[in-house]
Amino acid sequence: MLQCKEVAEEASNYIDGDLSFIKRVGLFLHLLMCRYCRNYVHQLRRTIFTVSVLKPKEKDSTDMTSLAKKLHDHCHK
Amino acid sequence: MKKIFNSTESDEQLLINQLIAGDQKAFTQVVTEYHNIMVSVARAIVGEAFADEVVQDAWISAIKALPKFEQRSSLKTWLLHIVSNGAKTRIKRENRTDSLDEGWESVSADKFDQRGHRLEQVSIWDNATPEALLANTQLQFIIEKAYQQLPSLQRAVITMYDMEGIKMEEMCNILDISSSNARVLLHRARTTLHHRIEMYQDK
Repeated sequence: MLQCKEVAEEASNYIDGDLSFIKRVGLFLHLLMCRYCRNYVHQLRRTIFTVSVLKPKEKDSTDMTSLAKKLHDHCHK
Repeated sequence: MKKIFNSTESDEQLLINQLIAGDQKAFTQVVTEYHNIMVSVARAIVGEAFADEVVQDAWISAIKALPKFEQRSSLKTWLLHIVSNGAKTRIKRENRTDSLDEGWESVSADKFDQRGHRLEQVSIWDNATPEALLANTQLQFIIEKAYQQLPSLQRAVITMYDMEGIKMEEMCNILDISSSNARVLLHRARTTLHHRIEMYQDK
């Protein structure tokens, strides 16, 4: 039987469908019985969704308008 | 819950044609859309100090080569390969070999007992639609800050895989890392961001 800690470590691979059949079944059975781990996997899925919606950005001070103008002028003189 | 990605093939073809024709608006659009992820990839490979230069050079090479672009991949993937190649050439010149993935927090060990069982309850988070998330400026700020504090390789991996929908194999190719390494980095990045959201939810 898998431990909660192992479930936490494999949660991303479980969500992405990147586990062997045996491990996947082990995790699935653990999740059937453990509400906390079920909630954790739910929270991790929610985290991934939130990040994909909010799309945080790199800290970067590039002026996009002047970069675009520079590229345009460079290639279409 | 599905991740949300954008841009269709016909949009992209139109954008490429406009760029070749020299449409200023198309240049602004392509820079706005892809500059950030190009910076992310460059920083992951070559580090903060040389990333800006590598990205600027990549932009110029890409725009010049655009008429020859055969569209066997998406414009985004093509741009990322150009940045990646530039960054790898630069790293060889600078002779850097140090790891850019240091100092991360795993799932805290204090959440489990000696037998690996959870010590505390884990609750269900309230449902949130994309609209509600985009309206939550406090959560946006927390996530952006946590994201910017991630090591650069983790940032690149979560950006490419979770935000931009780039396939695992393609991403590993661009970043020159193995898929097992990429999966570890991805899980570390998600875990850190999860932890910050958890603290916000528990407030």
